[in-house]
Formats: sequence, C-alpha cells, structure tokens
Amino acid sequence: MTFEERLAAIRAKLTATRLDCVIALHDGAHFIEKPDPVMVLTGFKALGPVAAVLDRAGAVTLIVTPSWDAERAAEICPDVKIAPADDLIAGLTSVLGANVGRIAIGAAGLGAMPYGLAQRLADLTPLVHPADAIVFDPAKRKTDRELAHAREATRIAELGYQHLIDIARPGMTEDELAAELRWHSKSLGAEDNFVLLCAGPHNRAVAPSNGRRMQAGDTIVCEITPSYRGQLAQICRTIVLGAAPTLLRDKYDLVVSSMQAGFAAAVPGATMADVCGAMNAVLEAEGYGKFCHPPHIRRRGHGLGFGAIEPGDVALDNTTVLEPDMLFMIHPNQYLPETGYLLCGEPAVLAAHGAQALTRQQAALVEIAV
Amino acid sequence: MHTMHPTLLVGPADWDPQHTPRRDYEDRLATLWRDHPHAVGAIVHGNSRDHAALAYLTHFTPKLEAAVALMPRHGEPQMLIGGGVNMLPAAKPLTFISQLAPLRDAAKTIAGWAHRLDAAGSLVLLGGDAMPYQLRRAIDDAFGNVATLENGDAALQARMRRKSAGELRIVREACAILGDAVTAFREAARRDKGVTDCILAAEHTALRRGAQDVRSLFSLDEGRTFRPFDVTIAQRRDPLQAYFAVRYDGYWADAFVRAGTQDDPLGRQAKMILEAMLAEAKTGASCRMLHQCADMSRGTLWPHPLIEETFGSSIGLSLDEPPLLSGDCDTVLETNVVYSFRAGLFSGAGAVVSAIVLMTERGPELLWPAGDPS
Repeated sequence: MTFEERLAAIRAKLTATRLDCVIALHDGAHFIEKPDPVMVLTGFKALGPVAAVLDRAGAVTLIVTPSWDAERAAEICPDVKIAPADDLIAGLTSVLGANVGRIAIGAAGLGAMPYGLAQRLADLTPLVHPADAIVFDPAKRKTDRELAHAREATRIAELGYQHLIDIARPGMTEDELAAELRWHSKSLGAEDNFVLLCAGPHNRAVAPSNGRRMQAGDTIVCEITPSYRGQLAQICRTIVLGAAPTLLRDKYDLVVSSMQAGFAAAVPGATMADVCGAMNAVLEAEGYGKFCHPPHIRRRGHGLGFGAIEPGDVALDNTTVLEPDMLFMIHPNQYLPETGYLLCGEPAVLAAHGAQALTRQQAALVEIAV
Repeated sequence: MHTMHPTLLVGPADWDPQHTPRRDYEDRLATLWRDHPHAVGAIVHGNSRDHAALAYLTHFTPKLEAAVALMPRHGEPQMLIGGGVNMLPAAKPLTFISQLAPLRDAAKTIAGWAHRLDAAGSLVLLGGDAMPYQLRRAIDDAFGNVATLENGDAALQARMRRKSAGELRIVREACAILGDAVTAFREAARRDKGVTDCILAAEHTALRRGAQDVRSLFSLDEGRTFRPFDVTIAQRRDPLQAYFAVRYDGYWADAFVRAGTQDDPLGRQAKMILEAMLAEAKTGASCRMLHQCADMSRGTLWPHPLIEETFGSSIGLSLDEPPLLSGDCDTVLETNVVYSFRAGLFSGAGAVVSAIVLMTERGPELLWPAGDPS
C-alpha cells in the first residue's frame, strides 16, 4: 500500500459519511501509545500542536505551530497546503473561515488533546463529530514506506541492544544505561527511542529507569523501541549481569516458546485475540494460567506508531482480523513467580502466509560476564 | 522554545533531598495555601511534557504516563501514577510522597478523594489545561456538586518564577552542563565533523554530565530555519547554527549557539544586538524597552523569524515560563528570576544567539555563557 492509496481510502470513508471534512489533531507530545492522526494524513511529526484538515475532495491543509516550523512541514509534505500559525485554534479558525457552523466537521485525535486546546476547539465548532475511525481504520495496514522504516528501526534496535550488552555493568544506574542507549540509537539514525528499561534481582514488571545502581546478579529487562522517520519498531530483551541460573534459562525458553506460538498463530484471517490465546496456552500448559491476566500481564503485543497504532493490542478482547502488511509486536513478556518478569518480543509484519519477524536475531537470554 | 518531544523521558529524575529538602516543598505548599485561603486541597496534574507545577510541588517527573498529585491542606498527600500498579516501585524514588496508587478511574478516584476532604471549601486545580480532554471533562462531570475547582496555574507560575537559593544552585549546574555541551559542539565543529555528529557530541557530553534531558535543534540553511534531529547528516555547515536545551534535576538551561572555523559576521552582529540588550537588562526594565533596544541595534536588518514574536522568557522547571518576553508587552524584569534572552537577525541567512541571566538585587548576573559574552 502506498501513502496515496491509504489517503484515497481515508477519503472514501469520509465520502461515505455526511461529514464535509475531518480535522486530525495532535498536541506534539509524542507517545508510543498515543496515535497521531496528523502523521497518518501527512507524514509530518510536529514540534507543537498541529492539525490537518482533509476535505471531501481530498485536499489536505496542515496547520503548523510554531510558525517557524512551516518550511520543514512543506519539505516533508510537498502535496499539502501549509498554514503556519503560532496558535493552533487561531490557525484553524483562519483555515475553516466562514465554513465554521455551516459544514459538518469530524475530528480525529480530539480525546487525547489537552483540555485547554480541545475546549477552545469545541467553542469554535461545537458540533464536531468523532471521526477517529475514518482516519485510523485505513491505517491498519502499513504503507510500503512505513514498513521500510520499521525495518530500519529494527536494525537500529538490534545494534542498540548489542551496545547495551557491551556497556551494561554493575554500578551503572538504570538511568545512565537508558540515556546512553537512547543517545546511541540517535547516532545510528533513529530520531527517538522509547527505552523502557529496569533491572533487579526479581523484576515485577518493566518500568521506566530510575537512579538505582545495577548489581551483579540483576536481571535487566528492556524494551528498545527506536523510531526511524516517525515509524517505531521494538525488541524486548532480557539480560543477566552474571551467570544465569538454570531455572531462569528454562523459564526463558518457555517464554520464547510462547512467543513462537504467537508467531505461528498470526496468520491472515486470525484475530489478535487468537494470537494472544496461542501465547497464553503455552504458559497455561505449564501452570501459569493465573499469571496470564492483570496485573501480571495486560497484553501480549501491540501495534507500532507513531502514526496509527492499529491493529491494537495482542489481547483476548481484540477481535481485529489480521491482514497482510499489518505491523505489530508479539511479546509474551511474562511475570513468573520463580524468576520475575521476563521480556521476549519481536516486531512482526504480516505476510500472506503468516507473521515474519523483522529482527535478524530473535530473543535469547544473554549473560554479561561481571 | 518548541523542541521535538521524546516519547519517554529516560534521564535521572530521582528526588535528592540534598538538592531540594522536603522543607522546601512544605514551604511551597504553604505558599499555595496562602494564595488560595479557602482551598481545602489541590489537584496537580502533570504529563511528560507539561509537569512544571507537579515537579515544583512534588519533584515528580512523569517519565512515562501522566500523574496526579492529590494534596490536602491538612494530611498526607498522595500521588496517582499512570501505567498500573507495577509502575509504582519505579515511581517511588522520584518523589517524597510515599502514598502512591495507580491512576485508574481517575475522575472517580479524584472526586472520591475530594469528597472525603469533607469540607465546603474549593479545590485548586493545577495543570488542568494539560489534562487530556476526556479526562478533564470526566473530572468536571464527576465533581458535580462535590467541590468547586479553582484554577491555580497563574498564581503558582508567578511563585515559580522567583527562584530560591536552592533552585539557583540547580540552575547554575544546569548552565555549567550546558556550557560543557556547547564546548563539545564547538570542538566537533572545529574538527570538521558533520552536522549531526556535532549535535550528538553536545548531547552526549550533557548526558554524561548528568543531564536529565537534552534537546536540540539545528539549521541546514545558514541559520534561516531550525529543525529537530531526524536522521544523521554527514554534511558540514560552517557556521553551524544550533539550539540546545539541557535539563538538570528538573531545571532547564538553553542556548542558541553558532560554531565553525571561519569568520562569522552575521553571528557577530547577532552577538552585538544581544550585548546591547543585556546592557539594559536590569530589574524593572520593560520588555518593550529591551525590544526597542534590540531593534535599534539591528538597524536595517530584519529580526530572525524565530525571535520576531518573543525574544525570551523566564526559564526554570519549564523551558518557557510565562511571561514570554515580547515587544508589545509591558512586563518588567523581576529580581530572582532567571531569563533566557535571545537576539537574532535575518538577511537571507540568519543568526540567533542567547544568554541566561539572573536578575539579582545587586544587578544582573550572567549565568550562561560564563563570564562576559563578548
């Protein structure tokens, strides 16, 4: 799928409604779990609050704040009309002009907008209709370009992981390791990296790093998630500072088996729930059924943004049917009482015959000599 | 100053009572209650981008998801942390607040807490405009008749603007880290490194010096426009125009800088404008006057688009503390406030330079660049 084909699909969905236009909104605070409808419509990753207006004829106008960032927007989106503004709502008012109150407007991303901005938008156009599905449904499948970027992000993730193995040592703080890893991935060409990393003798979960100094015997769990040109890819890994006990090795093998079951279940026509169920089954068979639910586990994977995060979570309540060119994480990432939390996951793209990992080397427990 | 917001804040953010004792937070809270004499409690929201008020009152930096501090006038505060119960241990070192709970059913939880305060007074809401629209509406709905919400942002911002001695120690360290980062940037440029290698050299230096965060922008078109780091760029630029913002223990310091090996007449002119402005920057000086001073120094050259609307701001727990400094406002410079001043010009190419100045009772003190900017 090309970007243009996706935009045509979005326009077709818009035409099928009674809406005259869709306003895609984002506040510029990028987060792995917050979809960005502006990126879906334009490919532009903003510094500040931003909006893209798509009309039924297919024309897109991008309101960019701060105004000094407009030239970058024009460079990235040559086919889009750029409207520089220093206040998003003032910019929108100008773009919508006399149409405000006369046309039917849908909004995507409104629910995640900061209240201060969203309330002003609601004051401007009180009858805005929710239109997230118009923008995000056609973005369930990644474009060819997004998939290429995901592959590059994966390459960077794997190189970053090797760097982590090279530098992690007792005495280093989690923060130092996470910050170094993020910086290193930028040196490899990523513009950002969601490095969720922590360490301890018995991790209850993976959590943001803090100032704790790592110790020999710690297990480091990390999600390394670089973004290349706005497309995220992730690998989930587990490392031991020292020699791994046999029990830990055995349990890690179990989690890897669970992941492999997830890959096997991820075929076109299956649902995300099926993938989750297949991973759960491996763990349930070993007596870990009660750990297959919150608070031990919320999901077994997720879509990868920053644009759309469809097809959503690999979770029992997600009935989304898998289609080729969907991109999502398959990660069992399981807490086990004997070992603590174990991270194991790969980015997967769905092909006609099933899920393919984008990684060159799949998760295996690594020991760092100390 | 807008920079690209990172998807996760990964730098050191633990609360260190040696840097900011618990007593300082108690004093800040006491001031909050004085500013809101009828309030029985405060609801303080922060997310990874907008959390200056939360950091000021609790030290907490929401690295991953949003957090809400519930601070009663009497009794122990508690903090609701986004991300579920398993995120609580990682959050604990980031604040002195010991009662942490997951941020679930936020509106209902917050309204329940307010109800238990069992008083007819109002509640101060801080950071409410940065709440997600749906959450804020849910809170408004949940509150119904429970209590009145009083927006406390402006009053707190005025308090936050004036820095205590302890805060200034942190700001000075942030400026020192910024200085080292800029030195690394210039050294890389002097050694003919590519554009992003120069940027990365500065960022790495700041991180290794203990920066909590570092942001950057740079120009590929002779200072005309600025852009965030996107992909690596091996090309060189001389002069190379950049912007760095460094955060240390919550507090920001920022700088527009230029580096290169050749003569830089445009950069020199921008520096002269900055110096002219700094010469007039004293407690009580008005923004209008400083802007006029910059205008006169610039002569017939255009102002740089980046500083056309605002030529600086107070800086601290957020990069742009209000008020923003602009030529059409009568804001005057205040004692114990740290300002980031910017000067720039545009003539096809562009140049922007900056300085960080603390207004003291004895006069202005240049915090960055160290010593005389000339």
